[in-house]
Amino acid sequence: MTTSRLWRFPMPKLPSNPVLRTAGVYTAGALFALGFWFFIDASVYSKVANRSDVHVKFVDWIPLICSILGMLVINSIEKSRLSADSFSYSGGGVAWKARLVLFTGFALMAGGLSGSITVLVLKYVVPGYPWPTLYFGVANVVGNAAIMLSCIVLWVSQNIEEDYTYNLSL
Amino acid sequence: MAGLKTIIVLSFILAIGFLLVILSSALFGPNYFPLLVVATYVLAPLPNAICSRCAMPDDFIESGSSGFVDFGRFLTGFLVVTGMALPALLAHSGIIQIPAMIMSIIGGLLVYGTVVSFGMFFQEETDF
Repeated sequence: MTTSRLWRFPMPKLPSNPVLRTAGVYTAGALFALGFWFFIDASVYSKVANRSDVHVKFVDWIPLICSILGMLVINSIEKSRLSADSFSYSGGGVAWKARLVLFTGFALMAGGLSGSITVLVLKYVVPGYPWPTLYFGVANVVGNAAIMLSCIVLWVSQNIEEDYTYNLSL
Repeated sequence: MAGLKTIIVLSFILAIGFLLVILSSALFGPNYFPLLVVATYVLAPLPNAICSRCAMPDDFIESGSSGFVDFGRFLTGFLVVTGMALPALLAHSGIIQIPAMIMSIIGGLLVYGTVVSFGMFFQEETDF
């Protein structure tokens, strides 16, 4: 690993602590719930307590659906297959396939976040709606950002796990 | 020593938790949405229990077996935050009132704490 390194600065060593990893996975779930319920809150508020004409429609749901699909795709991949090129026993371009699927996942997730910002700007900011209506767009952005953060936390904590088992197998 | 006293204390706390949630539903203009919190917190320990059976933690050859465990923990974190976010959501939309939200959150946390500490106290020793 160290001899065939590409970058001059090594990756900072993640603390390989199983407790930290467990806490990371729980935190990821909590963040995901936070983002999800933030958006559900906006749509329930739009349905029940809304006094303006603007409601949460299907357009507002598309970014969240993209983000959740992207998170599903990203975290379904076995992370150790990404560096499979350096091992001799994994033929058939597994790493290539993994990178392709992962690219799809990241594109979905980034599309979700930028789509939520697009909805916020085009549907709520540009017509100049006041706060309780503007909240629908803000909650959309916050929800998608929380789901993206949850995905990052999950990814990092699973990499901690990878490091841990590597040390264990030595 | 996990004995009779622990069971009595835990069942008291469980009863207080249920009492708070039911009161929060019944006192503030009877609407029974806060009872969803109890359902969430009763469901919360289930994913860990199921997924730890699915995965084989002593299997070092197949490195992907911890995916089940991770998924269970993810779902647990999701459900715990759901239990707190649901009353806040209902209160924000004006379906329930703010005191009902506070009471149902506290009651739900008591119920979940009871379930978790029951599992901690009376965990069977795994035999290998």
